[in-house]
Amino acid sequence: MPQSVFLCRLDELPDGESRGFDPLHTGRDTVMIVRRGRVLFAYRDACPHHGTTPMAWRKNSYLNAAGTRIVCGAHGAQFDIATGHCTLGPSLGQSLTPVPWVVNDQGDVHLLLDPNQEKFP
Amino acid sequence: MKIIGPDALFFGVDDVTACAQYLTDYGLEGVGVTASGGRFEALDGTAVIIANKDDGGLPPAMGTASMLRKTIYGVMDTQALQAVAEELGRDRPVRRLSDGSIEAEDDMGFLLGFQVTMRRKLSLPAEAVNAPGAPARRPANVVAVDDDAVVRPRTLSHVVYFVPDAVKAEGFYARLGFRCTDRLRGAGPFLRPAGTADHHTLFLIQTPPFMKGVEHFTFHMGGPTEVMLAGTRFVNKGYQSFWGPGRHKFGSNWFWYFNSPLGCHVEYDADMDLHDEHWVAREVQLSADASQLFLFQHREKWVPSGPPPGAATGVPKG
Repeated sequence: MPQSVFLCRLDELPDGESRGFDPLHTGRDTVMIVRRGRVLFAYRDACPHHGTTPMAWRKNSYLNAAGTRIVCGAHGAQFDIATGHCTLGPSLGQSLTPVPWVVNDQGDVHLLLDPNQEKFP
Repeated sequence: MKIIGPDALFFGVDDVTACAQYLTDYGLEGVGVTASGGRFEALDGTAVIIANKDDGGLPPAMGTASMLRKTIYGVMDTQALQAVAEELGRDRPVRRLSDGSIEAEDDMGFLLGFQVTMRRKLSLPAEAVNAPGAPARRPANVVAVDDDAVVRPRTLSHVVYFVPDAVKAEGFYARLGFRCTDRLRGAGPFLRPAGTADHHTLFLIQTPPFMKGVEHFTFHMGGPTEVMLAGTRFVNKGYQSFWGPGRHKFGSNWFWYFNSPLGCHVEYDADMDLHDEHWVAREVQLSADASQLFLFQHREKWVPSGPPPGAATGVPKG
């Protein structure tokens, strides 16, 4: 049974927008979430170009102006929000790493963690 | 061919509002900025210019994620401009624009402009450091630290390109008088044009063609303290540090890189080495160690103070 870590309430995530989180208290955001209605798309905040580097250009800013793509603030690599697949830029052909999540009956958003390693599964 | 360095970089961006806020918070001054873009200047008038990527009349996009549309070089005088036009005219179309500048593509497909430089002459002190054994740079009672100091980018220092053929690209810039000051094997050359002593105004990084574009640009600050202070203020406004602060080996410049909405990194730098024709280029393999003398990482302000938590009173018992 994986452990979970509370991130926020669903109603704290503006629909159609993105937010970054630091669930493992590393000192910077390591998870980013895009909300579309009841559906969330959660990925590691790590561009596949360099593997571990953060993508936002400002706190919570992960999307293009139209809100239709995840864009890395390092070199503008564009990712499909639903699949995490890079469609343009340095990470072309690679994908963001999805992070499992649940929203419980109370509307709390949790990430699921690997209990042995205290990291994302 | 006295090319000084980039006078301006022109970007066709996805989010003009975000980029305008970013460049203003970075420390550039908006000139003639509207909802559709504008010019963001350093103290000497060198600039980043942005427009909406879908606006008509922009130079074409590169077809990659890069938003850079044009690099506009400043040259020393009309003679230099004519020399550049003649050299480029030997094997490619050179357009003369109504503002007197010329325009042509480099061998990688980057659009270049050349103009008699519009840089304003700066007369500003450098950061002053006192050190034992050296004459005082700050006399008695002159305090170095000012919480409220206004620190602004002084001049556009350099731009870095991802190019699909760094050897060919270097050959093109050599025709325009750029010389290799140092080389990172596995990346590419640092290039200094003839009109400046700065270690580099252009650095080329070999990459696959789908990455072609700009890796970063940077403006020179007045010294390492200004890099740290401007960077700290930038972090405190929510901007994302990417690499730094630290100090490079080649060029010796202090650096701090940030993510940006311009499709590339944006850097603060200071205290770059100067060179002349007597310099012999160094060459090393690209590595973390070769890229920096040291590297720090920002953390929130903190102070060591007082007794440990279990000894809150400080009064001995008994």
